Amino acid sequence: MRGLLQDLRAPIERRTRAWIRRRQGADMDPVELKRQRIYILPTRLGVAYGAMLFAMLLGGMNYNNNLGLWLTFLLVSLGLVTMHHCHGTLSGVRLRLLEAVPGFAGSNVRFRLLLEHSASVARPAIEVGLGTEAAGTATVDLPPLGTAAATLSVPAERRGRIALERFVVSTSHPFGLFRAWAVVHPAYAAIAWPRPRERGATPPLTATDTGGAQAGASGEDDFAGLRPYQAGDSLRRVAWKAYARGQGLHTKQYAGTDVVSHVLDFASLGGLDTEARLEQLCRWVLDAHERGEAFALRLPGTFIDTNVGPAHREHCLNALALFQGPEQARG
Amino acid sequence: MAEAGFTARIRGLAWVLAALTAAVVPHVLHLPAWVTLLLLAVCAWRWTADLRGWRLPPTALRVAVVLVSTIAIFGTYRTLNGIEAGTAFLVLMAAAKLLETRTARDLTVIVFIAWFLLYAALLREQDLLKLPWLLASAFLTAVALMRVHAASAQAPARHILRRTLLLMLQAAPLAVLLFLLFPRLPGPFWGIDSRTEARTGLDDEMTPGDVSDLSASGEVAFRARFFGSTPPPEQRYWRGPVLHEFDGRSWRRPQAQSFPQTQVTFSGPPFRYQVTLQPSARRWVLALDLPSQWPARQVLQSHDLTLLSARPINSVTAFDLVSQTSFTAGLDLAESVRRKDLALPRDGTNARSVALGRALAARHAGNAPAMVGEMLRMFREQPFEYTMQPPRLADNAVDEFLFSTRKGFCEHYASAFTVVMRAAGVPARVVTGYQGGEFNPYGGYLIVRQSDAHAWSEVWIEGRGWKRVDPTAAVAPERIRGGLINSVAADEPVPGRLRDASEAWLQVEMGWDAVNDFWNQRIVRFDAQAQFDLLDRLGVDDPDWRSLGLGLAGSLAAFFVALSAYLAWRYRPPPRDWPARLHAVVVRRLRKRGLEPGLAEGPVAFIERAEHTCPDLARPLADIRGLYAALRYGPAPRPDDLQRLKHAVNSLRP
Repeated sequence: MRGLLQDLRAPIERRTRAWIRRRQGADMDPVELKRQRIYILPTRLGVAYGAMLFAMLLGGMNYNNNLGLWLTFLLVSLGLVTMHHCHGTLSGVRLRLLEAVPGFAGSNVRFRLLLEHSASVARPAIEVGLGTEAAGTATVDLPPLGTAAATLSVPAERRGRIALERFVVSTSHPFGLFRAWAVVHPAYAAIAWPRPRERGATPPLTATDTGGAQAGASGEDDFAGLRPYQAGDSLRRVAWKAYARGQGLHTKQYAGTDVVSHVLDFASLGGLDTEARLEQLCRWVLDAHERGEAFALRLPGTFIDTNVGPAHREHCLNALALFQGPEQARG
Repeated sequence: MAEAGFTARIRGLAWVLAALTAAVVPHVLHLPAWVTLLLLAVCAWRWTADLRGWRLPPTALRVAVVLVSTIAIFGTYRTLNGIEAGTAFLVLMAAAKLLETRTARDLTVIVFIAWFLLYAALLREQDLLKLPWLLASAFLTAVALMRVHAASAQAPARHILRRTLLLMLQAAPLAVLLFLLFPRLPGPFWGIDSRTEARTGLDDEMTPGDVSDLSASGEVAFRARFFGSTPPPEQRYWRGPVLHEFDGRSWRRPQAQSFPQTQVTFSGPPFRYQVTLQPSARRWVLALDLPSQWPARQVLQSHDLTLLSARPINSVTAFDLVSQTSFTAGLDLAESVRRKDLALPRDGTNARSVALGRALAARHAGNAPAMVGEMLRMFREQPFEYTMQPPRLADNAVDEFLFSTRKGFCEHYASAFTVVMRAAGVPARVVTGYQGGEFNPYGGYLIVRQSDAHAWSEVWIEGRGWKRVDPTAAVAPERIRGGLINSVAADEPVPGRLRDASEAWLQVEMGWDAVNDFWNQRIVRFDAQAQFDLLDRLGVDDPDWRSLGLGLAGSLAAFFVALSAYLAWRYRPPPRDWPARLHAVVVRRLRKRGLEPGLAEGPVAFIERAEHTCPDLARPLADIRGLYAALRYGPAPRPDDLQRLKHAVNSLRP
């Protein structure tokens, strides 16, 4: 029965979505929820409420009972007033993208959204979600004149750019009898990095260290960044200031010191297909970064020179994520 | 699935339980005690379970509870229909639902049940005194619903209360509009259960002690508003059920009546009035003796001249009537009626009274007026006493009263008089009703209370027809002129009114009764006719259903426009001061150069950036920035700074 209902509902929902998309067009950041793009319908509870009021109305008419009718009318009015309030809660809210947080393929990428408004009253219980029943929603209260952040997690099935094509801002404030919602079709995208391969193959340790390491052997002042502390690190290199700030134990890294340097090369992974090679490279990038080693990344058509640090790591991961394939790279 | 049995603390539970309990309170007196106790127990259990994180009972137990209690209710009422059984059923459903409340949706269902219980309470009673409780209860229920659906669990209770109150206040005008203009269709659409619940009032049976019991109640029986003159106290006989059958102790109204209608000719001035009856669950329409005109569609007249409503009077109901106190009724007495109104039990009870009647007949040779006169003289001259607390009477009630106790209330006198008259061969019957009424100067109407309940006799006299004889008037004439208070001994408790009530208290009581009367007339009895009258007063010519519908649609539209305007105002941006407004102009103009303030970029920083990006505008922008900073942050801006800023902004031409 439930399955049948869903079968019946699915095409209707698809058409509604398409209609809304055609009607509104794509949205530019920031998006303001104007009243004409806010839809409202009674919830299941709202329908039950309506049925109860109808029964009350009939009963009041039947018994010719004015007080019963009066309570009925009061509740009808209350319902209609809350409908307006439900709509008003959403109307005038502005949304913009704060940050698109990358993730690995197979898990989620996240979009952090900022909700803001310029009303001096609060807008409680605003839900932000993907609009599918499976995906969860974030519920936020917008304080008077304030802002609130909500995070949307989008599953990344494959590496590359994951676009957020559609999300829904809704509320059933104040009584849960009505749900007002607005659909946003943003132009947001986050990067999904390749899924890292299982640990196993060690990267080739190339001896062709291009001098940077040796030449800078004396230059301990060439600060390159921080990496998580590992047992055995010299205590002199622990970033005590960072520790004092409550950021945990980190070891300072210096370019050109005793850094083991790799060139992680796409070409070195013969016998694997492109995706597998990217996944292996991803694993190596992560491991090398974790160990505090310097590395370079060579992809067909791209070379990222030896470096260390989180920015370098992200740079390399992004290159892996957006790699178009050897053919395109050559062409 | 095993996880689902455990309860997490559920938001708003306490409020919902409070609202449900408050909604059950008006029903407690009408519900079987076990239903109330069961609900309270379940509420207490659910609350503790929530605090302690107990497991909710398995489905089988819940189903069993529902089944058993449904059967028990059916056993109590023999039906699940009607207000009584329906209310009990609803309460049990709420209890059963409480056993499985896990989500906001479950709690919302209970909130709906609470509202429905309040609705049922209003169907049952329309008493003004109970209204504040019902209103507060409806409000509490709304608060509970708001609490259940609030997003943040921490929202303080007073915020929730204030928001709910605000919503209620906004809903109130719309509710009033709907109440005034929503078409009242003439019901009923389905059969109304005959409510068997006992209410105080006249019955179609009278046993010695009944009327004095009724008199102990100070409740209002009905109110009568006279248009024109009001009849004097001794003519205020309000006619109720006429009792014909006597079994030696009790008087009854025969169930199956097929007697010829009594012919009446009226003389004397008509009294026009409206009688507004409190719910009695009976059909009697108490009319001033004797009604000559009544609304024929709603009221019919029995053969013995009592008015009967077409439907049992279950809510406050008004009738427009005309009565004339001078009349001749039933000059020709049908044989069937004569036989019935002469009948006495043949088992030899009350033998001395029967013998008294026969002796009267012999002495006066069947001259009925003379016999009546002698009986009344007997009541007046022998030591008969009028009291609300007569001694209990056994089988030969009339004999005992007439010859030994000689203490009685009106029903004793009416009963004894009628028995003696029948024994003397004079057709006679007992009429019950009310006698008297208290004038309310604030409302301009008569209040007739249950304590005015009365019984008298009617005898048929050849050539004169049915004549009212009130034996009580012989023994206690002040009862007829001044009501009960002035007629019983000083140490007897008198209902309804305090014997020694101060004048001020009486005034308060009359004022409150006038408020109640207004409530009944204007609110409880508001109907289609009142709606049309309202439209008429608003200047609509010839109001009909169409104008009602148009008025409703128009005022609804107006209300929603007003509500939308209010919401726009409520969510308005705060007023911006001049520097902020002018900065907004700057931002708008610089947009042409592709500049947009950053999320965390203040006005000064933004303009400064613009100066770097657009060197051609650097001079005016720097002026604007300086003036803005001076106005916003400066210790003492000069009076013309704002004018200069306005000028600078207006002449900015990117």
